Amino acid sequence: MYYLPEQNLHIVLGNLQESYNVYIPEKKNNTLYYTLFSSKHNSYSIDEVRACEPLKAFFFKAREKVAENYKPAASHMNTKPLCIVGAKACDLKGFKVQDYVFLTDEFSDPFYRSMREENLIISADCSTALDTCFCMALGLKPYPEKDYDLNLSMLEKGCLVEIGSEKGETVVKNNKALFQEVTQAHKQQKIKIRDRVQKHVQLNIKNHKIPKESSLKNRIKKNYKGAFWKPEAETCVECGACNTICPTCHCFLLYDQGDAKKMARLRVWDSCMIKDFARVAGGANPRPELWMRLRNRFEKKFDFFPEVLGINACTGCGRCITACPAKIDIRKVLGRLTGNA
Amino acid sequence: MHNILNPYAVIKTKVVQVITETPTIKTLCLRPEIPFSFKTGQFIELTVPGIGEAPFTPSSDPARHDEIEVTIMRVGRVTEKIHQLKKNDAVGIRGPFGSGYPLELFKGNEVVVVGGGCGFAPVRSLMYSLFAISSELKKLVFRGGCKNPHEFLYKQELIGWTKQKGLDVRLTVDKVEKKGDWNYDVGLVTTILDDLKVDKSKAFAIICGPPIMMKFCTKKFLELKFKEKNLYLSMEKNMSCGIGKCGHCRIGRYYACKDGPVFRYDTIKNNEDIWE
Ligand code: SF4
Ligand code: SF4
Ligand code: FES
Repeated sequence: MYYLPEQNLHIVLGNLQESYNVYIPEKKNNTLYYTLFSSKHNSYSIDEVRACEPLKAFFFKAREKVAENYKPAASHMNTKPLCIVGAKACDLKGFKVQDYVFLTDEFSDPFYRSMREENLIISADCSTALDTCFCMALGLKPYPEKDYDLNLSMLEKGCLVEIGSEKGETVVKNNKALFQEVTQAHKQQKIKIRDRVQKHVQLNIKNHKIPKESSLKNRIKKNYKGAFWKPEAETCVECGACNTICPTCHCFLLYDQGDAKKMARLRVWDSCMIKDFARVAGGANPRPELWMRLRNRFEKKFDFFPEVLGINACTGCGRCITACPAKIDIRKVLGRLTGNA
Repeated sequence: MHNILNPYAVIKTKVVQVITETPTIKTLCLRPEIPFSFKTGQFIELTVPGIGEAPFTPSSDPARHDEIEVTIMRVGRVTEKIHQLKKNDAVGIRGPFGSGYPLELFKGNEVVVVGGGCGFAPVRSLMYSLFAISSELKKLVFRGGCKNPHEFLYKQELIGWTKQKGLDVRLTVDKVEKKGDWNYDVGLVTTILDDLKVDKSKAFAIICGPPIMMKFCTKKFLELKFKEKNLYLSMEKNMSCGIGKCGHCRIGRYYACKDGPVFRYDTIKNNEDIWE
């Protein structure tokens, strides 16, 4: 672990621009959005909480051309690799699901893979929590414990840097002179902040009566009937916002454009809340009712992924709670599923 | 398959023949620019340039690598365009995807194949594969059903099978309008399953057809005391990517595109919506 004074951190990020497109959260109207780093600015918020947009958007783009004419190979994406600064613990969990979908088994996705393999992830501890944050109900701490190249714990005038990979180590080596030794006072500051944020998230969990992760097992199978789901879905307007904003949702639609001479295949984010999502060409639809699709969304997150990957595909980031125009609240649904609320 | 660089890209393919099977069903014979092989039960994605793609299980003999045939019912936007294709048009294909039928497992056993409606398409390719290993099968039984004689897919070929030695075949239609149109059974396909001369505790049954037909056939086979784990169903789902990523074809913990579309009944029976 090293200590990096604030102005030195700025220099390191500036140096990283040579080999990476460096993205960093910046506050606009009280909300954090990722923006391209520039050493001229100094208004970034590396700590605080997760940004508004899910990190999947950088790797599995909302809309992307995935094939052209009869070309067998993926057209080369020769932009600079990505460096993401300030990813939070919940963001990193999102990668777990996306990596499983796009990188495992015989057909890995060449577009996702090329972005992800070359990226540099500089995560950061949360220094506060939103009212909608409940990561600790899903097995996380509000600070990254693994799956990063470097992790930053922002302190008053600088940050502590933890190395998580060889790539991260190289960054430190290349900027060796800028890093300093860690003092006891630094360590104590870090612990203090981490404790404070954990208390905040725990209070959220208590206030919203969010169930323990262990009690989620098989809950949807036990509450499979419309009697449970119809009232839950009553206000849903089928907008799909909960899917698009979700760091773990990965479903997409392929659609073709052009004509016989020049064709392009596009991949766009899709939403399982939309009526035709599972409809087959012959017209049969396994999930014609909205409540079935809401149930499906929960089933995918809390039944399917635990079975195939061993984790719930929910990070506790709370994005869908804020995004839903119908005020459907995942915390409350989970509470009712487990008989907690 | 492992060397596909881009799983979304298609292989340029020429339509070499279009066969009108019934008023709503056509078979396309396709010649891909590069050799293409598949195992019976696997499916492909067929692209009409600029229009889109749709999944189909080839109906031809997997032993052929120069040409493949797909039999397609006109049901939607893409299939409408497919029906307008003519000889020498170019299309694209991707695949093959999915796991296919476990042919090895069938060797040394009695196998009953049931096909209905447009479900005949994959079944024909399966039958070709089973004919190829028929000397290693203890017994091969085929049961086919359709609404009426006019819509009976591959009718002449199937009638040919009824005369084939060593093959136990029965064909049925739900209804005959004119006498003399049909010299075989009349009634639902489940009614020609009662006389199966196989050891029901050991025999395999493969069912392929519209969901409602598969549902009733499965019920029937279970009543006949076939084992759940010996029943194979081919599930029609909204397959798109073909590679377990787009999320469209999930059945419980499986993806039809990757873990199916052929499933052993006992592995999916607990999912409520399998017959939808
Ligand atoms: S959910 Fe947890 S990790 Fe994510 S932003 Fe909130 S406090 Fe941080
Ligand atoms: S965001 Fe809310 S209203 Fe929109 S589809 Fe999701 S649950 Fe329904
Ligand atoms: S077709 Fe995309 S996941 Fe099965």
